[in-house]
Amino acid sequence: MMRLLLALTIAAAAWGADEATLEKGRKEEQRACLPCHSLRLIHSQRLSRAAWGRELDKMAGWGTKITERDALLEYLVASYGDDKPVTPPVVSGDGRKTK
Amino acid sequence: MPANRRELFAAVMAVAAARRMKAQDGPVTIPGKRPLIVHNDRPEDLETPLKYFDTWVTPNDAFFVRQHIPRPAAIDPAAHRVQVNGMVSKPSQLSLADLEKLPQHTVPATLECTGNGRAFYSPKVPGIQWGRGAVGNAEWTGPRLGDVLKLAGVDASARHVEIDGADTGIAQTPDFLRSMPIEKAMHPATLLALKMNDESPQIHGFPVRLIVPGWDGTSWVKWITRLTARAEMSGGFFMNPGYRYPKYARPPGSAAVPAELEVIEGMPVKSTLTAPEDGSKAALAPLVIRGFAWAGENAIERVDVSTDGGARWQPAQLSPQKLPFAWRLFTLNWTPQAPGYYTLLSRATDTAGRVQPIVPAWNPSGYLWNGIDRVGVTVEKA
Repeated sequence: MMRLLLALTIAAAAWGADEATLEKGRKEEQRACLPCHSLRLIHSQRLSRAAWGRELDKMAGWGTKITERDALLEYLVASYGDDKPVTPPVVSGDGRKTK
Repeated sequence: MPANRRELFAAVMAVAAARRMKAQDGPVTIPGKRPLIVHNDRPEDLETPLKYFDTWVTPNDAFFVRQHIPRPAAIDPAAHRVQVNGMVSKPSQLSLADLEKLPQHTVPATLECTGNGRAFYSPKVPGIQWGRGAVGNAEWTGPRLGDVLKLAGVDASARHVEIDGADTGIAQTPDFLRSMPIEKAMHPATLLALKMNDESPQIHGFPVRLIVPGWDGTSWVKWITRLTARAEMSGGFFMNPGYRYPKYARPPGSAAVPAELEVIEGMPVKSTLTAPEDGSKAALAPLVIRGFAWAGENAIERVDVSTDGGARWQPAQLSPQKLPFAWRLFTLNWTPQAPGYYTLLSRATDTAGRVQPIVPAWNPSGYLWNGIDRVGVTVEKA
């Protein structure tokens, strides 16, 4: 039993935050960040926990009301941490006809 | 987490991710623009793919876009005014017609985002992860900023000019305000551009954009509404701590020392390889290595290219116009002698003798990347 508990603890640590926290963080990202900019701005970056923390502080200083800071930070680190692979950005459609 | 729970979680996350992609990160088209690399679409941060860099003038519909804050609402050109005030004897409100009546000048100049190449820094730093394409070369036309300031009777003791545009921050996001020393403001190549490559600048700052040749893109304020002659440099986020560079380099990953940060002005010497593209394949046959090189306020003197990882270098052919502020295209004809993977490098030298470094100084905001450019190409038997 103890060994199972230990294994679960290690697994949880390896996984990072639990899924409920990540989902809460994802929702907080939509609520807090989307009013000012699209999420690509976030999702294109790969930052350490400390660096994501500083970004949240900067945005809070610029008027963003972040109510679930811990969950948002966990979500950012788990999804866009500096150990995560970079995904190539998308290419826009041809807008020359929609001038 | 048990396997079945993990699978369920993964499935839930995948559905959520798909919904999110559709809702937020889905396909986007920018009116008037060719397909560009989208780093952000609200506001627009768009990078030019290397394949569009085969001409000396970058077409407007391929030119990169950097917005800090959302574009202003549609501007009525007939109603637009540029206020000139501060340390001037004749404060004024200039219409576009007033600006068009002044002598018009055309300056070819390379515009580069201060953070172009940020993605190459390690450790990674926050900000738009620009690769090679947050840069372009255009011919800018309009009256000299110096003529506008002289007309307003700028005071001899004014030391700086503050520039504001029609865009404003959201929530408490700071307004995009910049200033520059009076010497650069009075420089004959510093313009209030009404045209970009003979067209309306549109998303690039219609109807009036500041042109500060050789200086970082952040200095080139868009949709200008106000010019204020002042005794002091402006404050505000975009002057401090934004767009400052450490006077003394510190180890990669170190925090900035605020007192040691300086406003970025002129840009460094740099070259970019545009063909062949990194990671591409080429037939075992003669091919042309292409690129462009630029050097802030200087002109490009030479570009050397290596096809063997830097063991040997050859001078590249340069396009004829050797101008300050504007880039030069370069080419090198290359006939690989054997199949295999080749590391191609380019290294520019400017008229002041500045040379691109192998390793640019890491800095906490990822500005001014100008390392020797490097691409890999696999040559295969035809």
